Amino acid sequence: MKKQQRFAYLLLSFLMLFAGSLAYGQQGQITGKVTEAGSGEGIPGASVLVKGTTRGTVTDLDGSFTISASAQEVLVFSFIGFETQEVTVGNRSVVNIGLSQSVQALNEIIVVGYGTQERKEITSAVTSVKSEGFNQGTVNDPRQLLQGKVAGLNIARPGGNPNSGFNVRLRGISSIGENAEPLIVIDGVIGGSLSTVDPNDIESMDVLKDGSAAAIYGTRGSAGVILVTTKSGRSGKTVVEYNGSVAAENVARTIKVMTAEEYLKIPNAVNLGSNTNWLEEVTRQGYSHVHNLSLAGGTPSTTYRASINSRNTEGVGVNSGFNQLNARLNLSQRALKNKALFTFNLSNTNVDRRFGQENAFRYAIITNPTTPVRSDRPEDRPFGGYRERDIFDWFNPVSIAEQNIDDRRENRLLASIRGEYSFTDNFRAAVFYASQRETDWRGQYSPKTAKFGGGFGRQGLATIENRERLNDLFEATVNYDQSLGKVNLALLGGYSYQEFFNQGNYTQAGNFLTDAFTYNNIGAALDFANGLATVSSFANSNRLVAFFGRANFNLEDTYLLSLSARYEGSSRFGANNKWGLFPAISAGVNIANLVSMPGVSAMKVRASYGRTGTQPGESYLSLLRFGRQGNFFYNGQFVPSYGPTSNPNPDLSWETKDEINGGLDFVILNNRLDGSIDYYTRVTTGMILPINVPVPPNLFPTTQLNIGEMVNSGLEVMVNYLAMQKSNFRWSTGVNFSTLRTNLRSLSSGDLSFGEVNYRSNFGSPGQNLTQLIRIQENGPLGQIWGPVFDGVNDNGSPKMKDLNGSGGYCNCNEDRAQLGTAYPTFNFGVNNSFSYKNFDLNFFFRGSVGHYLINSYRGFYENTEGTTVQNYNIVNTKYFDPRINKAEYNSSHVEKADFVVLDNATVGYTFKIGSGRAVSRVRTFLSVQNPFMFTGYTGVDPEVRYGDAESGNDPLAPGIERRATYFTTTITTLGLNVSF
Amino acid sequence: MKKYINIRYFLIGLGISYFASSCVDMEEEVFSQITAENFFKTDEEFISALGQAYSSLGGLGNHSGLWSINELASDEIVISTKGGDWFDGGVLLQLHQHEFLPDNPFFQNSWNFLFGGINTCNRLIFSFEKLDNPNSPAFIAELRSLRALYYYWAMDAFGNIPLVTSFTSTEAPDTKNRREIYNFILAELNETIPLLPTAKSGATYGRMTKWAALMIRMKLYLNAEVYTGTAQWALAAADAEEIINSGPYSLMPSYKDNFLVNNSGSTENILVYPYDKVFAGGFNWVMMTLHINSQATFNLTQQPWNGYQTVEEFYNSYIDPVKNPGVQGPVWKGLALEQSTGTRDGRLSNFLVGPQTRSDGSPLLDAGVEVFDATGRNGDPNGPPITFMPYLNEIWPQGLRQAGARIAKYEFERGGTNNMSNDFVIFRLSDVILSLAEARFRLGQTTQALTLVNQIRARAGNLTPFTTLTEENLLEERGREMYVEMTRRQDLIRFKKYGAAWWPFQGMNRPKRVHNPGSYLELFPIPAPQLLANPKLKQNPGYN
Repeated sequence: MKKQQRFAYLLLSFLMLFAGSLAYGQQGQITGKVTEAGSGEGIPGASVLVKGTTRGTVTDLDGSFTISASAQEVLVFSFIGFETQEVTVGNRSVVNIGLSQSVQALNEIIVVGYGTQERKEITSAVTSVKSEGFNQGTVNDPRQLLQGKVAGLNIARPGGNPNSGFNVRLRGISSIGENAEPLIVIDGVIGGSLSTVDPNDIESMDVLKDGSAAAIYGTRGSAGVILVTTKSGRSGKTVVEYNGSVAAENVARTIKVMTAEEYLKIPNAVNLGSNTNWLEEVTRQGYSHVHNLSLAGGTPSTTYRASINSRNTEGVGVNSGFNQLNARLNLSQRALKNKALFTFNLSNTNVDRRFGQENAFRYAIITNPTTPVRSDRPEDRPFGGYRERDIFDWFNPVSIAEQNIDDRRENRLLASIRGEYSFTDNFRAAVFYASQRETDWRGQYSPKTAKFGGGFGRQGLATIENRERLNDLFEATVNYDQSLGKVNLALLGGYSYQEFFNQGNYTQAGNFLTDAFTYNNIGAALDFANGLATVSSFANSNRLVAFFGRANFNLEDTYLLSLSARYEGSSRFGANNKWGLFPAISAGVNIANLVSMPGVSAMKVRASYGRTGTQPGESYLSLLRFGRQGNFFYNGQFVPSYGPTSNPNPDLSWETKDEINGGLDFVILNNRLDGSIDYYTRVTTGMILPINVPVPPNLFPTTQLNIGEMVNSGLEVMVNYLAMQKSNFRWSTGVNFSTLRTNLRSLSSGDLSFGEVNYRSNFGSPGQNLTQLIRIQENGPLGQIWGPVFDGVNDNGSPKMKDLNGSGGYCNCNEDRAQLGTAYPTFNFGVNNSFSYKNFDLNFFFRGSVGHYLINSYRGFYENTEGTTVQNYNIVNTKYFDPRINKAEYNSSHVEKADFVVLDNATVGYTFKIGSGRAVSRVRTFLSVQNPFMFTGYTGVDPEVRYGDAESGNDPLAPGIERRATYFTTTITTLGLNVSF
Repeated sequence: MKKYINIRYFLIGLGISYFASSCVDMEEEVFSQITAENFFKTDEEFISALGQAYSSLGGLGNHSGLWSINELASDEIVISTKGGDWFDGGVLLQLHQHEFLPDNPFFQNSWNFLFGGINTCNRLIFSFEKLDNPNSPAFIAELRSLRALYYYWAMDAFGNIPLVTSFTSTEAPDTKNRREIYNFILAELNETIPLLPTAKSGATYGRMTKWAALMIRMKLYLNAEVYTGTAQWALAAADAEEIINSGPYSLMPSYKDNFLVNNSGSTENILVYPYDKVFAGGFNWVMMTLHINSQATFNLTQQPWNGYQTVEEFYNSYIDPVKNPGVQGPVWKGLALEQSTGTRDGRLSNFLVGPQTRSDGSPLLDAGVEVFDATGRNGDPNGPPITFMPYLNEIWPQGLRQAGARIAKYEFERGGTNNMSNDFVIFRLSDVILSLAEARFRLGQTTQALTLVNQIRARAGNLTPFTTLTEENLLEERGREMYVEMTRRQDLIRFKKYGAAWWPFQGMNRPKRVHNPGSYLELFPIPAPQLLANPKLKQNPGYN
């Protein structure tokens, strides 16, 4: 209640600022024709608007128009792909005008923080991808639209789980304290959820890469910013569009294991009498279909676009997939004699997920291939007739996939309203309010017959989980634009207030009389009576308040300067450090305007500096907190006991990233080649990490501190080339690549240190629980894969490790371990080729990463002939398999180069010729294949970069490990249809 | 119009004042957590604060903490690497072999357990001192003696450690030597013993009493030669006698009844940590020691981990007719292919050995049992029917899955969870009796000592009394009685046997490091993360 009052007050006080009126004079009828400047052909559908009014029209099929306007008024002619022109009516009654094609690379509109700019004005590292440049095929996640398209932006989803998200990292990683992804801003809503946006509804995605571009987002800008702009309606003809597709999804890559025949040749093999291909048993061909219907249109004063998107997807894993329904309405209305503009966006998404069981893949890989799927042995009756074996870490994969239920439902609601008022031509002010509600529900059940998932041991086990995340944003901005002689000045000032609230609850209980209820009647669990059920709930909140401003100076599009700053406070910071300042400066010179160079339309050199921050990943880290610490036996009964769970740190502050960026934007060869080159160095300091502190005097063994320093640098190149343009054939190609170098300069702050050297993560059970895999080292690169060096086989069959320190034998200590690779790629690239011939279009897109390594966990545990391994499991059988090795012991031979090139997407389309005057204006069909092949020497499931994994608690300091429950990768073939009316 | 403007200004003014007050407010709003501001308001909250000093003790029954380092470094317990399982970076082997590395995470876990407890006591003493509550003096005495227990354990394991008694000090402490810590503990106990409750009742169950505090002092004196260089046998004997003669404790008729699932009725246990599968989890020996398939024997909710085993030689000290004379009868020995004859010490209930069955009595089978390979070394002689054999083929790399007698000292609950409900025995009367015997023996009062030892032997069942007492048979008797009660490492050091070679049986690879009495290895190293966190700390000698 309190919060709503607060917002109401704010709205009121800002709305009071709006008042004003305007008068205008006598009108007459004006006619004319809009043509293409070169050919003189009429342009149908061009917009003609009387400047500063709601009066406007659209040209007809010949390009002709009629409009009423008075002599002193100005007509604005515009059409996509052409330069906009303004003409004062004067005493004419006929106005004919030729529009020239715009050089898109210069004039395309780029969305930046709190505004837009033309590309030629940009002085920082910003990449804009429009819908026509997005990835095609079956794309369910907006992130995937950008995969491989932006130099320096790495987007990866290891494995092909349709329910798991993509990991996004810009310019390596920006923080080692937080596993941070770029900030998402959807139509101005900071921290908007990408699930509120269907990929079909996105107009453009703009990536703010350097510190100067992101600094206006302050404490959340360090990992970069992705600005998502959704499609909106245009005045003129109503457009109805339908996009539909059906797709088939198949397993692409798994890991090679032995067939029953191969397995039985290994000494100690146990023949259980069957021949099962377990990988096939837990997978299937998945079918999906996507439907998208949108209506868009409007008048000069009202525009709208409404869309509805439905996605039904089956994963290749048995019982995995989702159904999603999204609806969106974007509406804008001019009012108060055109001086006010209201924009209203509303979006709702519902997703029903069948989450499937990634562990079915894990056990499918290692299950003895002679094991039958089902059996009628009496000892398998308690397991529902699935063949089980009483062995540690042995579970029937089909039972896992078929018996355990993991259902989730997600709801996302995002509503925003923006009111803008133009006081004069130069001065406007706006208020913006947005509210996002995200709710997640999860229900799981493991029946009494499921050996995996706890159902067998707990006599049926049900779990219900609810989460709710609220995000309320209020912003007010003022803009002032002025020409001072030759200098165009654009000023922005603003205030931002944002509140987040999260809550959730969790209930887990077992011991049911029957499996009939699944998770729907958890109160029937006897665990409640026995005190063995688990119930918990939580709530937390945080708040961000900021003042920000920006000044842009533009001297005849030749000399450009931009200054910005955000002064931001976060409730998550310690009491002594609530507020931070994040300034930025950037400048550019367009040399092409100073020196005449043949064929060069633009040659802009730019440089920038910007400071951004990262706020702590959770609330309350700076406070001394107490938590439940078991119970205490007091006077014959147990009473709850509470103790400290954190140390206070009133100095806790944001992580600071200072970044300098130098760049060159160019449009040469008569507009056929355009591109940009950027080089950056970013220094992150004060990273928030839990550091060991002495107890006593501290209450808790670790304190959250700001420590250390990290440097990332890299080169990014993006080039688009129109290779050929004939009357009915067009070929364009685009290449982008980026390099990355990281150095963790320091992990200390004063006396306190994370340790000059530190080891993270572990390999896991069985037997390699404390086998550390990743080294963190001051003055070394991030993500060092670490371990003993394989040096042949000992007589007893155990892997021989190299004696690196010359002590006369391998010591099983750090002196005899070495860096075996790095987890981060040094080079990422994407290559796109588009062709069109008559009505056909063809597009294929390759993507790759080079220089990174992965620890292949499957091989580290199961590629050996150790007696119990062979008896209990199937044997991983890659090119590295050496039957002499009979001991699972992690070493350099399990660390593989994971360089890869993948054909992400190949699409061929055909657009039908439709005569004019038909109801249907455009029909296109396409066939698209995603991931049909991948070139890599890696023998694991997926050579994609791993930024962290659930087994290591998503620790950003422990990347580069392919764990054993990796969902197989998939190939998707999509047949689609686009129709416009 | 004028009125309109006034309202407008009023609203703008209101907006600005509201803005200035609340819209730049950066205080955190807390919902589901407790901060210093919203705690310690009621009596219940005070009691629950006191409770944390005790609930810290819940770390005793886990894998990888203070109990583990003490037992794994002694000759009682071993965790062999089984197939691929339980290698875990070699840290377990290192403990067996006395290759103590400062970055072994078990040391850090133990340190956090000990100093977490000390710190909680300091904090609560500080809180109660500030409070004018009638309960405060009693609570403070109780907390000081509990703190002395933590310090005693820390001094025993790590020797030279920081000494902090003030909660408000913010300076990182430096290292004090073992003698300074010893003197501190002694002084604290001397002051608090007269203030502590003496009754054995529900109100003192699981809490510090005069007797528990006396027992800490008795142990200080018993080991005084190791700790300070000066023996204090007579003082140890005096404290032991006071507990035996004046304390409200008596030996239970049956040894194993001290360790039942419901053992709160024991007349013998002096200090326990009350575990409970519902209220106070964390006692998971059932997981640590039992075979994966033992789930079906005890109908457990989870699969055990097949880790902790008894060293064969130690097990043999129970059944050896010469070392442990008594009633001879069938016992499991060696490969456990069939029963052989040996002493049927009543305390063999400490072990789970021999063929295992499902809960319905049918044989328990291990589908993953080792088959014989060409070397003959890896095969399990008992085959798929699970038989826990006292025999240990090797500790690395191919330890047999069924090897080793399992720790069955605490009764396993049928249908139990991974959390056992038995109360963990920290101090017990028979330890006092054996300590008194030892002190008398050291003082040359052998006859009295022999009587006391035979009192323990008589209670054990099926044993004949010793006729003479030697250092060897006294240490062995202590071993049999006090198995896995976290006294063995201390006893071996005191009897100068800690550096001896053990596991000398055939096929045992990776021999233990042998060292002399007084070796630096009798202290564990200060954990590496502690040295990083506090540069004023000094590593123990020998570990640099």
